Amino acid sequence: MQATETTADNSVILDIDHVSKEFKTRLKTVKAIDDVNFKVQRGEFISVIGPSGCGKTTLLRLIAGLETNYTGNILLNGKRVEKPGLDRGVIFQDHRLLPWLTIEENLALGLTDDKTQINALVKQYLHKVDLDGFENSYPRQLSGGMSQRASIARALIRQPDILLLDEPLGALDALTRYNMQEELEKIWMNNETTMIMITHDIEEAVYLSDRIVVLDSRPCKVREIFTIPLEHPRNRESKEFEEYRTCVVSSFRSAVANYSI
Amino acid sequence: MELTIKDRLKRAGNAVIFPFIILLLWQILGSMGILYETILPAPTKVAKAFVEIVKDGSLAIDVWVSLKRVLIGSFFGILAGLTLGFISGLVPFVERLLQPIVDIIRQISLYAWIPLIVLWFGIGELSKDVIIARGVFIPVYINCVSGIKNIQKEYVELSKVLELNKATFLRRIVFPSASPVIFTGLRLAVGDAWTAVVAAEVLGGLTGLGYALLNAKEFLKSDRLIAVMFVIAILAAVSDLALKQIEKHAFKWKEN
Repeated sequence: MQATETTADNSVILDIDHVSKEFKTRLKTVKAIDDVNFKVQRGEFISVIGPSGCGKTTLLRLIAGLETNYTGNILLNGKRVEKPGLDRGVIFQDHRLLPWLTIEENLALGLTDDKTQINALVKQYLHKVDLDGFENSYPRQLSGGMSQRASIARALIRQPDILLLDEPLGALDALTRYNMQEELEKIWMNNETTMIMITHDIEEAVYLSDRIVVLDSRPCKVREIFTIPLEHPRNRESKEFEEYRTCVVSSFRSAVANYSI
Repeated sequence: MELTIKDRLKRAGNAVIFPFIILLLWQILGSMGILYETILPAPTKVAKAFVEIVKDGSLAIDVWVSLKRVLIGSFFGILAGLTLGFISGLVPFVERLLQPIVDIIRQISLYAWIPLIVLWFGIGELSKDVIIARGVFIPVYINCVSGIKNIQKEYVELSKVLELNKATFLRRIVFPSASPVIFTGLRLAVGDAWTAVVAAEVLGGLTGLGYALLNAKEFLKSDRLIAVMFVIAILAAVSDLALKQIEKHAFKWKEN
C-alpha cells in the first residue's frame, strides 16, 4: 500500500480506490461491488444513488468499517479502512437511539469527558439540530424527524471527519422529509463536515449534494458522477435545479433499465 | 391505548360474568341438596370454612410458612438462574456446556424431582427451598440466556460505530435490552414458585398451604380444602399482578 503517496493531496479526505467486494455463500459467490472508484474532497457533500439492491448500502458499510474483507483500498485520511472508528459518524435509516436512555444519555454514550463538559457539549449539539431542551426526554417522546436529528447530533458530538448517512430520511413521511432536507443542509453548512449520503430520492440528492455518484447494479459500478455547482441554500423551484434533476433522472433511469434486463 | 372508566368497567364485567354464573349455579344446586356435600360443598359453606380458618389462625400460619418458602426458594433459584444465565448468555462456550444439563433437569418434571430431593434433603425446610429453587431456576435461566443472546444486531453495530468499550456495551446496551425478557422469566418463575411450594408441601410436609390441602382431604373437609385452594389462587394472582405493575413502570421505554 502506497497510502501516503496517493493522498499527498490533503484536500482528498476519502479515496475509494478500485474497491470490490464479494459475498460468498456455500453455493455461489456474489459480486456486490465491482471496481468502484471515486474521491471525496474535504467538506464535500456527496450523494450515492442507485437502483435498490445495487450494493450502495454495502459500499457505505465498507467505508464505515462494518463490512470488511474487500479488495482495493478505502483510504480515509490516507489510512486504509479496516474497522469502525470515531473518525466516521454513521447515521442509519432507523435513528437507533437507545429507548431506555434519555436523549442526553444517548448523545453522551461512551464519552469519557467529565460530567460538566459533557453537559455543555450535549447542549451545544442539541442546539445545532434544533432540539434545545430535550436533554431529559426519552426517544419515545420524539417524532421521527426529531429522533433522526438527535441521532445526527449523537454522531456530530464525536466530531467525526466524515459523516456517513445511510438513507437517513428514508423512513420519514414526505413533509418531514422535506423539512429534514433543509435541516441537513443547514447542519452541513454550519459544521463543514464532509458527508456521504446513500439515498434513492433524486430530488433529495440534487438538493443537497456537491456531487452525485450514480451506481449501476449487479455488480455495483459507478455509472456516472454529476457535479451540481448550485449555491447553497438551494432553491428547488429554480430552472437550473430542474435541469440538473432531469439529467440525474435520465442517468438513473438507464441504470434501472440495465438492472431489469 | 387509553381506556375510559366505562370501558374498564365493561371489561371487568366481561371477565367476571362466567365465574359468577358458575358460582350462582353451584350455590343453587348446593342449596337444593343436589350436590353431595363432602364432594362439592356450596360456596356459602366454603366461605364459612374460610372464615373459620382465618379466625382460628391456622390460615395465617400456613400462608406465612408457604410465603417464606416461596421467598427463600425463589431468591436462590433466581440468583442461580441470573448468574448462570448471564454467564451463558455472554460466553457461548459455557452455554454449550450447560445446555444439556439444563435440558435434562428441565425435561424431568418438577414433581418427579420431589422424591429424590426429599430423599437427599429430608422433609424439612431445606428440601422445600430446593424444590422451589429448581422450579424457579429454569425460566429465569432460559429467559436470561435468550434475552442476552438475542440482542438486536443493530445495537451491536451501533456500539462498534461508537467504539464503546466492553463495560459500557454491557451496562448500557446488553443488560437494558435483555431486561424485559429477563423480567418475563421472573414473572413465570414466581408463578412456578407457588406451584412448586404447594407440590412440595403436598408430597412431603407437615406445614404450609399444601399440607393444609392434604390435611383437609384426610378429614374429608372439602369446604376447607376448596377455601385453601382459593387462597392459593389469590396469592399467586396477587404476586403476578404486583410484578406486572413493576414491569409496567420499569419498562415504560418500551411504549411505541
